[in-house]
Amino acid sequence: MFYHIALEHDVLLHPRYFGPQLLDTVKQKLYREVEGTCTGKYGFVIAVTHIDNIGCGLILPGQGFVVYTVKYKAIVFRPFKGEVLEAVVTQLNKVGMFAEIGPLSCFISHHSIPSELQFCPNTSPPCYKSKEENIAIQPEDTIRLKIVGTRVDASGIFAIGTLMDDYLGLIH
Amino acid sequence: MSDDDSDQGSFRGGSGSEAEEESNPRYRKHASSRSASRSRSHSPSGSEAEENNHEEEVADEQEPDGEDLNSEDEYDEEEDEEDDRPGKKKKKNERFGGFIIDEADVDDEAEEDDDWEDGAGEYGIVANEVDELGPTAREIEGRRRGTNLWDTQNEDEIEEYLRKKYADASATIKHFGDAGEELADEITQQTLLPGVKDPNLWMVKCRIGDEKNTALLLMRKYIAYQFTEDPLKIKSIVSPEGVKGYIYIESYKQTHVKSAIENVSSLKMGFWKQQMVPIKEMTDVLKVVKVQTGLRSKQWVRLKRGLYKDDIAQVDYVDLAQNHVHLKLLPRIDYTRPRGALRASMDPEALKRKKKRRPAAKPFDPEAIRAIGGEVTSDGDFLIFEGNRYSRKGFLYKNFYMNAITADGVKPTLSELEKFEEAPEGIDIELPVSNKDNSANSQSLSSGDNVEVCTGELINLQGKVLSIDGDMVTIMPKHEELKMPLEFMANELRKFFKQGDHVRVVGGRYEGDTGLIVRVEQNRIVLFSDVTMHELEVLPRDLQLCSDMASGVDSLGQFQWGDLVQLDPQNVGVIVRIEREKMHILNMSGKLVEAKPQSLNKKKEHRNTIGVDALGSSIQRKDIVKVIDGPHTGMHGEIKHLYRHHAFLYSRLMTDNGGIFVCRLRHIALAGNSTNKQAISAPQNGFASPQITSPRYTPGSPFGAGGSAAAGGGRGSGGGAGGRFGGVRRDRDLIGQTIRITGGPYKGAVGIVKDATECTARVELHSSCQTISVDRRNITIVGQQSKDGKTSSYSRTPANAMMTPGYREGGKTPVQGIMTPNYEVGNRTPHFGNVTPSHDGSKTPTQAWDPSAGYTPARVTDGDLDYPMDPGTPYAQTPNTLYGSSDHSYSPYQAISPSGGGGYNSSNSYINTPSPNTASPRSIQYHPAPSPSGSYASLMTPSSVSSPGLAAPSLTSFGLPPGWQTTDIFVRIADSDLAGQTGIIRDVSEATCSVYLPEEERVVTIENDNLEPIMPKSNDYVKVLCGSYRDRMGNMMAIEGSEGVVVMPDEKNPILIPLLHLCRAK
Repeated sequence: MFYHIALEHDVLLHPRYFGPQLLDTVKQKLYREVEGTCTGKYGFVIAVTHIDNIGCGLILPGQGFVVYTVKYKAIVFRPFKGEVLEAVVTQLNKVGMFAEIGPLSCFISHHSIPSELQFCPNTSPPCYKSKEENIAIQPEDTIRLKIVGTRVDASGIFAIGTLMDDYLGLIH
Repeated sequence: MSDDDSDQGSFRGGSGSEAEEESNPRYRKHASSRSASRSRSHSPSGSEAEENNHEEEVADEQEPDGEDLNSEDEYDEEEDEEDDRPGKKKKKNERFGGFIIDEADVDDEAEEDDDWEDGAGEYGIVANEVDELGPTAREIEGRRRGTNLWDTQNEDEIEEYLRKKYADASATIKHFGDAGEELADEITQQTLLPGVKDPNLWMVKCRIGDEKNTALLLMRKYIAYQFTEDPLKIKSIVSPEGVKGYIYIESYKQTHVKSAIENVSSLKMGFWKQQMVPIKEMTDVLKVVKVQTGLRSKQWVRLKRGLYKDDIAQVDYVDLAQNHVHLKLLPRIDYTRPRGALRASMDPEALKRKKKRRPAAKPFDPEAIRAIGGEVTSDGDFLIFEGNRYSRKGFLYKNFYMNAITADGVKPTLSELEKFEEAPEGIDIELPVSNKDNSANSQSLSSGDNVEVCTGELINLQGKVLSIDGDMVTIMPKHEELKMPLEFMANELRKFFKQGDHVRVVGGRYEGDTGLIVRVEQNRIVLFSDVTMHELEVLPRDLQLCSDMASGVDSLGQFQWGDLVQLDPQNVGVIVRIEREKMHILNMSGKLVEAKPQSLNKKKEHRNTIGVDALGSSIQRKDIVKVIDGPHTGMHGEIKHLYRHHAFLYSRLMTDNGGIFVCRLRHIALAGNSTNKQAISAPQNGFASPQITSPRYTPGSPFGAGGSAAAGGGRGSGGGAGGRFGGVRRDRDLIGQTIRITGGPYKGAVGIVKDATECTARVELHSSCQTISVDRRNITIVGQQSKDGKTSSYSRTPANAMMTPGYREGGKTPVQGIMTPNYEVGNRTPHFGNVTPSHDGSKTPTQAWDPSAGYTPARVTDGDLDYPMDPGTPYAQTPNTLYGSSDHSYSPYQAISPSGGGGYNSSNSYINTPSPNTASPRSIQYHPAPSPSGSYASLMTPSSVSSPGLAAPSLTSFGLPPGWQTTDIFVRIADSDLAGQTGIIRDVSEATCSVYLPEEERVVTIENDNLEPIMPKSNDYVKVLCGSYRDRMGNMMAIEGSEGVVVMPDEKNPILIPLLHLCRAK
């Protein structure tokens, strides 16, 4: 789910940037440091939309660095258990398929793929096909899936999904 | 005497016990005073005068209890009577005997009774006057109690007394109300406990299996003797369920027991010795143990001996009385031994020899039996062979003695379970409830676990474990009606998991692994391992919810996941999966082998192992390569290890073996450029590596992407870097640094390096007061090192080291070291060199898969704009103030590409540059330069301006994928001999091109990497180098921004193609 929330971040700035462009640099650095990061609590920070406030710079004793506490608003993407999302299939194999939902990668085990879809390793590219061959999921296809579990790492979130539910599967 | 005769026995049935009870006045007395409520109902019949009344049945009361004031005197009195009962002579004898018995009795009863001591004193005094004993004792008792009520008052008064007495108790209950209920309950319970005045329980040995029958027999005997002269004077017989070899008889005296069990054959062995149950333990005798001590059906057991020793079996049913257990197991039938008629033909000696072998356990096969002459008959659903019964599914059903099996701690392995499951039509096989072995189960349960009740009324109730106390587990049920925590025995619960739970394996061969649950079955859970991306099958009892971050098993002893190990002197492999006692290793031929850690040696790897790829480029660890041939064609991967002609690559897109695969060196080609340019055989490799360039790239900063700077700066820091490579100084550099741990169990922790060697660092953690040793590879420096007053070029070194996120400590340094050669090369090609970076710069970063970028939509993963820049500044400025900041602003290219090296020589051109040092940060960089000669100045300018996120990892420095070379295009040669010359490609082979040099009118063979495409101008004839129009030719009409408008003969409309993808053609 996407959220637009207020967040806070400390920017550490080298004294070299003290000058007319200082605040620009702080902003720049904020974009760089937070966009694209991922935390377990808020998920992926997609984009900073607005910088609310750049606090006073605090000079760190002994180093000369300055810490700015920046309050900003950002769009974050936080996947939840049970959430239904659309994803792009990236890879298929006999254990299941991998899909990406923007920055989130998701694994769908073959246990969670309806049994009428069978893995066909011999086609190129390999795909999950139904017997009537009216449905075939290949890489690059868009599917709708439901997240059944997430795992939060230091650097990202990994999800496992399922197609075993109504209206899930290939989107035409 | 008549008292006893008139008594009528009543039979009490308790749960699990056959009890026979004889009541006599004494007993009634006890009952009468047992509790408030009871006494009210019984007191009328409780007086001495009404001894003949029938005793009311005392509900389910098993043990007599409660001390009573009057029982003692009464008892003594009756004791006398009883003692007097036999004839005169006998009496004489019994006097003495009676005394002893008396004493024994009193002793038993009055263990804690101080009063008895008084009495005993008197016994001693009037030892011969047994007759007087009773009254005396009574008097004493009475005096002590301060009442002689029983002697003097009539029944009514007594009744009233009792009423009054117990009315108080009920008043108390009333007073306490509901709140006091529990208390009152407890008190009433206490009063029901047996005391010293109550009959004792005697434990009598009994023939095993005949306990119940004996109890019934004794009951009949009691009834039969009831009205005879000599009735049995026992109170009850107890034969609890599950107690083998004993029954309990309740009576006041052992002699009564003895007389009762006389001539009972099943109690013969207990005739001489009966053991008294201590008062305190009497209640335990009748405690109903909810979980039967014995076996339950469907339980797994193992056989202790015989043919089926150590085999797993499932309990079909248990016959406790017979001490038998009916088991279901896989038969071990020797199908090679002939039976029946065929048997005779066999040599008896051979038979004997054969006997020794133990046949394999497999389902019964009637066909095979018939084939060896055996006879199979059928009995209902069963097949009978040699007296054994086999189910149609092939299992043997057989009775075993209880002591031939062991049920404690039996854990069927998954394979054994499977055998039972996989056996033909294994439908009705109950999966074992995972809690058979209590101890193991309670150990593995922990608070926070989700559990499910698996037996009893609340079966299937789910809940969460709140606390565990020994075997008792408190759970909070997940039920709308149930809000209170409930207590369960540990074995009544089983763990419960849902799909999607993140769990850790706490037992079994996958112990320590973590993963997400993808499938839940009743006794099997499929996990998707975090580390290896394998699917694992585990038993639910071996799992535990794991809230912390995924770590999985990534190390075992000295080995880590992804390590290169020596399998044998010729072969190496990479650890791709670690299990508890073995490791899966991907060997050089791409095969997965299993090995024990003991049999492996860690392969010492040289840091700077260098290989040569298919195109002749040198490659080394951490380089990103593309597989151009062989089984993994098309994959990109990072080189994890190089060994002789093989490279072990890692790719996230690879699902097998955790993303590691092996390729021959000649099947891979370097994508982009090497990260570590320590020893470069061919200087052409000095082209900017996008991986390095990108992070340094600093949009919008006033100083531009200073990076490691202009050549001068590069040299300076190169020196510093050289020091780092020395190995000694590096340690000192690291000490005092604040680092973050990037791998292993302390991943994410921040600390200060206290000491460092080449491979490990001692780190004092910020978070906990602890100093730990960490692998150097698992740390990255955070924050700027605050160095002393060295020149800034030195402080630059560590700063640079932090710039690249993908590469840890030290990864950066070599880059700088390399500048020197570049520099020289660059001198020769200042012109084009300057153009090159701009090519690169305008390239979109997304085309290639960048492992360091991850999946996150980062602008630039690195996120450090300042530190890298500062170092270059002072140094570069010093030697060449002329090009000042504008120089720095595009220096990253300079630093790495030959053009950068050109910095000095081409400084003239820089001077020409307007040096708009703080140009708009995010503008597109590429300014097409119509005329190459004068244009590079203008080219430089935009490139210096920079843009965000210019990582283009797997591309060459021109922003083109490797293999862009095609025929009939103009190229510039960057080689040392012919550097600067322009030629036309005549022929392209794998790693080289034949280039026609118009100036010298000859054809030379040049390596691909030494060629640079020549950027077309307007109205040039162009050829497309990459993209969907690759190899198409056309006329470039105009230049629009960074794209050229190309008219192709067979396309109606002009097409916009990035200038980078175009080359002037013949």
